[in-house]
Amino acid sequence: MSPSLYVPGDGPLHRLPAGAKLAALAGLGVALFLVSSPIVLGAAALAAAGVVAATGVRLARLRGALAGVAIVVAIVVAANAWLAGWREAAAVGARIVALVLLGYALTLTTRTSDLLATLERLLAPLERIGLADAGKVALAVALVLRFVPELMKQAADIREARAARGLRVGPVALVVPMIVRVLRSADAIAEAIDARAYPPCKSPPTSAIPSSTGPGSADHDNA
Amino acid sequence: MPETAPRATQTSPPESMSIVLDHVGVTLQERPVLRGIDLVLEERRVGIVGLNGSGKSTLARLLNGLVLPDEGTVRVHGLDTRTQARAVRRAVGFVFQNPENQIVFPIVGEDVAFGLRNIGLPKRDAEARALAALAAHGLDGLADRPAHTLSGGEKQLLALVSVLVMEPRIVVLDEPTTALDLRNRNRIRAAIAGLAQTAIVVTHDLDLVSDFERVLVVDEGRIVADDAPEAALRWYRENRA
Ligand SMILES: Nc1ncnc2c1ncn2[C@@H]1O[C@H](COP(=O)(O)OP(=O)(O)OP(=O)(O)O)[C@@H](O)[C@H]1O
Ligand SMILES: [Mg+2]
Repeated sequence: MSPSLYVPGDGPLHRLPAGAKLAALAGLGVALFLVSSPIVLGAAALAAAGVVAATGVRLARLRGALAGVAIVVAIVVAANAWLAGWREAAAVGARIVALVLLGYALTLTTRTSDLLATLERLLAPLERIGLADAGKVALAVALVLRFVPELMKQAADIREARAARGLRVGPVALVVPMIVRVLRSADAIAEAIDARAYPPCKSPPTSAIPSSTGPGSADHDNA
Repeated sequence: MPETAPRATQTSPPESMSIVLDHVGVTLQERPVLRGIDLVLEERRVGIVGLNGSGKSTLARLLNGLVLPDEGTVRVHGLDTRTQARAVRRAVGFVFQNPENQIVFPIVGEDVAFGLRNIGLPKRDAEARALAALAAHGLDGLADRPAHTLSGGEKQLLALVSVLVMEPRIVVLDEPTTALDLRNRNRIRAAIAGLAQTAIVVTHDLDLVSDFERVLVVDEGRIVADDAPEAALRWYRENRA
């Protein structure tokens, strides 16, 4: 089960507006980088675990995702211990764990559409000065959330197929076929998004259906 | 048996109610994929069959402007797919073979609402309409489910619902039952049968179009038979099996 997904519920975190949660995550994220005491950071990681527990989501749903994070954290901690000593390594490890857990707490309790709406609102000023297209950013985030679980499943399929043939699965053996698959589906996904009236029209909807033969506006895509 | 001649353009209803392909040719990467297609489609149920690689999907994609003709014109309800692409997309919904690739949002309900948001519906209205559309096809209860946890049949139905919720006048389906078991195939078949709008269905499942009004057989980029299902499918079985 992917951590990137909303799990329906009605706990306090579910009821909090997406904007408030996003702001809290941003604020706590900055704070975590301002602190360097491993003890304080360790306490923060524990508190973050408490927040995840408070979402009411069963731990089993997070197991796969947490295992992945544990590996990354282990590598980072080992590298830091080697390069900068144990104190620094513990601080870095606790900081990552705290951030990841807070991120989970956010995505587990917030509908993607709410998250995206908030994101679009936040990006609106940037859009006004022409620096970003909020709608595009939001769609990109949605697609990542949508396809990460799919990719994880594909990775498992490839691993299984190779194991069935008695082959070992190194990272290269996994990554190459996955890139091929992603590129192959990217075109199809883009086409499907196109076919569903994307990009959005900014004006409010008129009649549901274009009515006549009139000379409509020439369109963007004459591929 | 002689090849059935394409139908003459009959005493036609107003052009605005039909799909008209006029001398259409499509060339993809320097290969002619469709050649000299003249068609007027005004039936409510049209099937398209033919061998692999014959050009069925390309023909279907022409109808909502996903593919543009290199020669000739395609008009849907009078709208030119080349110059009025946006309006054509609104009028013609397209259901792809692989539902995996057309589910865009992580959660079922959000995915159905996506197209509605694109046409400017406020969030609340979009969500309400999405729920109603899911319920109409027996998918209520799935609105909050992560899309990747659905079965293949549920995904295909979701893809169909996500298109239908936009209320297109015409729905084009490209091999909607290929990956499905018998039960899910029948669910899709029933869903198509119940559509208020025009449905154009590309398929290798000849049974699926046997009760349609008209069936086209495509072969090497041309329409080689165009008739009532019984005659067209008989031609296909006798000449291309
Ligand atoms: N993007 C493309 N570029 C080049 N050639 C293409 C492209 N898409 C399709 N073709 C070629 O055009 C021909 C018709 O393809 P099309 O997908 O329309 O066939 P089809 O009848 O739908 O086949 P199937 O039953 O296998 O789905 C094939 O020979 C195919 O290789
Ligand atoms: Mg095809």
